[in-house]
Amino acid sequence: MSFELNRKLAAPRDPLPTTATIDQVTADIIRGAFETVCFESATFLGRAASSPIINQSNERNAAIVDAHGRLAMGAVGTPHLTFVNQMETRWGLMNLDRYDWGPGDVFLANDPDHGGGHLPDYCVYGPVYDDKGELICIQTLQAHQGDTGGKDPGGFSLDATDVFTEGVIYPCLKLVHRGELRQDVFDFVVRNNRFATFAGDIAAMIGGVQHAVRMLDGLIGKWGAETVKAAINHSIEHTERRVREEVSRWPDGTYEATVLIDHDTAGTRDIKVHVACTIAGDQLTVDLAGTDDRPNLVGVWNTFANSRSYVMTQVVAAMDPTIVKNEGFFNAVDIVIPEGCIAQPPANKPAALGSFHPACEITEAVCLALSAVAPERSQPQLYKIGMPNAVIGFDDNGMMWMDQGVDCRSMDTSAVQGIDGWGSCPNALGSLILSEAEDAESRFPILNISREMTTDGGGAGQWRGSPGSLNVKQVLKPTTAMAWMVSADHPLRGMCGGDDAIPYTNHFEVGSPNERQVAHTAQDLLPEGAVIAYQHGGGAGFGPALLRDPEAVKEDVLDEYVSPEAARAKYGVVLTGSLADYTLAVDHAATEALRADMRAMAQAAE
Amino acid sequence: MTYRVGIDIGGTFTDFALLKGEDVILHKNLSTPEDRSVGVMEGLGALAAREGLSLGDFLGACEAIVHGTTVADNTLIEMNGALTGLITTEGFRDEIEYRRGFKEDIWDVRLEPPRQITPRRRRLTVPERILHDGTVHQPLDEEALREACRKLRLQNVEAVAISFLFSFVNPEHERRAKEIVTREIQNAYISASHEVLPRAPEYDRTSTTIVNAYVGPRVTAYLERLVTRLAEGGYRNQLMVMQASGGVMTKDYIDGAPIRVLASGPAGGVIGSAHCGKAKGHPNLLCVDMGGTSYDMSVVVAGEAPAEAGWNMHHRYLIGVPMVKVETLGAGGGSICHVNAGALEVGPKSAGSEPGPICYGRGGTRPTVTDALVMLGILSTDEGFAGGSFRLTRDGVDAAFQAVGDEMGYGAEDAAFDCWRVVNANMSQGVRRTTAGKGIDPKDLVMLAYGGNGPAFAAIQAEDLGITKVLVPKASPTFSALGTLVANPTIDEERSYIASAHALDLDRVRQLWHDLSERARRYFTAARFTPEQMRVNYQLNMRYPGQNFSLSFDFRADAKLGDLSFMDDGFGERAIALFNQRHMAEYNHIREHEVPEVSGVRLAAHVTTPSPRVTAGFTASAGAPVPAKHRRANLGQGFGETPVYLGRDLRPGMAVPSPAIIEETFTTIVVYPGWTARVDDAGDYELVKG
Repeated sequence: MSFELNRKLAAPRDPLPTTATIDQVTADIIRGAFETVCFESATFLGRAASSPIINQSNERNAAIVDAHGRLAMGAVGTPHLTFVNQMETRWGLMNLDRYDWGPGDVFLANDPDHGGGHLPDYCVYGPVYDDKGELICIQTLQAHQGDTGGKDPGGFSLDATDVFTEGVIYPCLKLVHRGELRQDVFDFVVRNNRFATFAGDIAAMIGGVQHAVRMLDGLIGKWGAETVKAAINHSIEHTERRVREEVSRWPDGTYEATVLIDHDTAGTRDIKVHVACTIAGDQLTVDLAGTDDRPNLVGVWNTFANSRSYVMTQVVAAMDPTIVKNEGFFNAVDIVIPEGCIAQPPANKPAALGSFHPACEITEAVCLALSAVAPERSQPQLYKIGMPNAVIGFDDNGMMWMDQGVDCRSMDTSAVQGIDGWGSCPNALGSLILSEAEDAESRFPILNISREMTTDGGGAGQWRGSPGSLNVKQVLKPTTAMAWMVSADHPLRGMCGGDDAIPYTNHFEVGSPNERQVAHTAQDLLPEGAVIAYQHGGGAGFGPALLRDPEAVKEDVLDEYVSPEAARAKYGVVLTGSLADYTLAVDHAATEALRADMRAMAQAAE
Repeated sequence: MTYRVGIDIGGTFTDFALLKGEDVILHKNLSTPEDRSVGVMEGLGALAAREGLSLGDFLGACEAIVHGTTVADNTLIEMNGALTGLITTEGFRDEIEYRRGFKEDIWDVRLEPPRQITPRRRRLTVPERILHDGTVHQPLDEEALREACRKLRLQNVEAVAISFLFSFVNPEHERRAKEIVTREIQNAYISASHEVLPRAPEYDRTSTTIVNAYVGPRVTAYLERLVTRLAEGGYRNQLMVMQASGGVMTKDYIDGAPIRVLASGPAGGVIGSAHCGKAKGHPNLLCVDMGGTSYDMSVVVAGEAPAEAGWNMHHRYLIGVPMVKVETLGAGGGSICHVNAGALEVGPKSAGSEPGPICYGRGGTRPTVTDALVMLGILSTDEGFAGGSFRLTRDGVDAAFQAVGDEMGYGAEDAAFDCWRVVNANMSQGVRRTTAGKGIDPKDLVMLAYGGNGPAFAAIQAEDLGITKVLVPKASPTFSALGTLVANPTIDEERSYIASAHALDLDRVRQLWHDLSERARRYFTAARFTPEQMRVNYQLNMRYPGQNFSLSFDFRADAKLGDLSFMDDGFGERAIALFNQRHMAEYNHIREHEVPEVSGVRLAAHVTTPSPRVTAGFTASAGAPVPAKHRRANLGQGFGETPVYLGRDLRPGMAVPSPAIIEETFTTIVVYPGWTARVDDAGDYELVKG
């Protein structure tokens, strides 16, 4: 629970000792089998869990960590979770005897100061031993929980000044001892959660881990522990080699980026994230020196493990997607995070909201920096929304319900070189399944009014960002609504000369005398019938807008992604004909002339 | 003599299975892609000639012609369906583009978007709103609807999908909109979501309706042509069409929702497998079908291949109608073996059938799985392949694998062997993913292998999965056509109804089942079935509050159509008990303190029609088989002289010891070390471990 502990947790680990040698194909076959174990484990959890955030939104992850605490193989789920879990299990591994680890055990961890992400991300894990009793690996399952037993439902307290406010903290808690559920411990964990469905979720997580451990026992039995260890070593080494090969193709140099967050939850403005990516041969170093470290900031503290993970999520996106995701990435890439900054907070800082911001600005800054060397893969893998509007109320029986606002929408889907932004979100979030109006309205007293994309809601560029959506909903009963707004002053940044996305805006009680814009935070009681409207920021553009194919701009206008006015003002495209009659055509000569004028004006302005 | 004919159209061949009494006659001829009904009529002509009848007499004696078509799949693969527009509720124009956030690859930021069937300019909205309880919150704005029609007319749309929120609860607005669109856009094919998929949520329903509109005109036009040709030829009964749910139904029924034929091809094979497995005493099966480009996997439990109506993504669109669950892996005979950054990979790229593997000698240059089998001596270059229609060549195969070996640091044979290992591993992992989350351990299943390449890998994969028995029916290369003859006329539909099991409106449930029953009765009656023939499973979809996935179960199985006498005051409690039982079977736990909710009411109605008889058992005795020849082959344990048997030499009762290769028409069966192949009374193979 100190910077020293963080240093120990992050320290590189040795390969597993083994007497076996292994060939590439056998190693790949074993890796494939491990990936399938993760897939089965995550599927088991997704289907058996009772909370929508797990079974509907799919916010869960399965991975295998080796006996040295290295991310070994097979991560299925959400990248942002994938690169955290080895840090949490390392704390347990450092205390094997203290916590009396043994076959059949299952543990729970969520401690931000002991290798965890934020409190809601529960990591349930089980060690796997061979028949001689040697620890070989650990199966982990992570899932975002709807509540953490803290001051506010959901675990996101806008005014939290320490982690204790946010909920109950588990550094390494044994749930199952040698195959027997510890009922008293289980009941205690369940009691510290507001949702009735939580018991089902945690049971499903335990079941998913046990299912995977049985499969891993079988694989170790089949291949032998020494061969499995050799396969893990081989896979990690292979990944490191491939990452280094990718880096060595990039030009040497230091590439820097600064991204600002509008404000913390207390209103302090312009929180800074700074990243310098240095490439020297096959070595990539990502250094967050210069990132904000003002101790009085509120709500913008991202845990050390999470910061590493959000760096890695973008590094991974910048490389060949077929490289296996494991510890080899961490072996190949040095991540330097100054102690005490918002990306490596002092102990006991609140951690919940930090997983949104600055976590996502870290990712964005890495993307901006790497866009200089890997433009074809520079799409930021993030969510610039401060926090979805969470709407909380009580049903007729006094039971709490919460619509967490993970509604279908479009946000933050930037273009990459050659491909316009498309779909609802960046790829990294593409396994999170969003809530539909018909499901939500059958459950909650909510009416969804609109969730369409806003014309001109995406950043212009040679390749265009996907427009953000305006999500409008009405509460049919008095409810509490929580919000934290960012990305209004500092929206998602364009890449390589592309325009930024439009700002996020959020309005409560739209159309009433009390209509107001949420400037930074809100925790308001809304009257029956109140309308809330969240304009999402959309994706940013890639490359200069004046280079976009004028015919593509015409198509965009026909599809109302882009207005005729913006076609002219942002893209320099002159259209003839009528949008209403679908008779638009590009006046190429006029377009060339207009673009020449615009370039000249831009040059003059510079 | 009356006949039943099953027809399955593939990319290259059209397969026929003729049921004549208890005998099955198989036939194949080339498909005719320009107008597939031509190939069908050619084949029927050939069957008629075989029976010594004129086409007219033959068709006149056909009691049923059952047909599986890939027209819908091909339309989506080629993306050449109708120019389609969407009319939806104001505020919800872009759901189809959001795809609920789903992207197929979370790691590849260069993933291309799916081709849009309804680009944004053809997605138009109208003010209207129905609430979750069916009340009208905002009336349909008919003027706005007419304006939307005008815009779609301007864009020359050929098909229109209409999808309004909560239309499955109250279809009033969609019905009215359909009337107006029918008038406003002449000759357009119109598809209303409450008719295609009457259930939540909106993305699932809208996507299904859009695809239905997109493929509908092609499917119905094709079926119309075929029906006309058959009628002209003398066929007097209704054409029955295979659905993805595993049942068949009349063309009239399919016309209402042509999307039901999408992905029906693989379903036929699974239904055929279930029938065959059950008859041979193996009701729990893992069915694997390895063809030229893909490896299809499915699970049969208790002799049934349940159709699931969940997150079925096909060709990047969600199709919400019930489908026999078939998972597909890009691992077929044509899958290409290559080296990626030091790792040997197989697929997903395929050489397809043109140019095909190098050994086809049609210009293929990249080494494939089939080429690896040639290198390993499993496939022969000596004689006819695929039934003798052409001969495999080894020219260029060694060099191609040597190139792979050069990158890996070893020889050509090692490269081919590793290709075999990798594709095996991929398939095993694919199977595990297929059974994942279903509470099924593959080792408790019997494998049934079909498709041209399935039997070459079956036993080694079975071993990998802990399976100790593999069935390889002699007819396995034409299993899909056989399956259409096995499939029963079936209507499987559901309606959304969301309520706590403690607060069920029984009248509403009764009404929904009644409506579904009447629909089924209408179509079955039109197909000349009697009410006594119609059997029904009354099913509920239920879940615990907060669960996204519902479980379907029979509330009352094999009941009379329309007989709802089982509904009484204890209904809710029985529903809870049955649901908990189902949940326990699926997930191994229940939530004692939670009251589950009903999410839908489903009705699966069917009529049992005659199926081909499957002979089982090992009563015949025969002497030891004699290999026709020996060849140098590697069956996983290094090269050695391996006996090769010809299928035509083998008799019921014979047992082929390992290691061995059995060459059958259209397929090759490998008896891997430690396995024995036994020929049963039907002439089908059973591979047994040990």
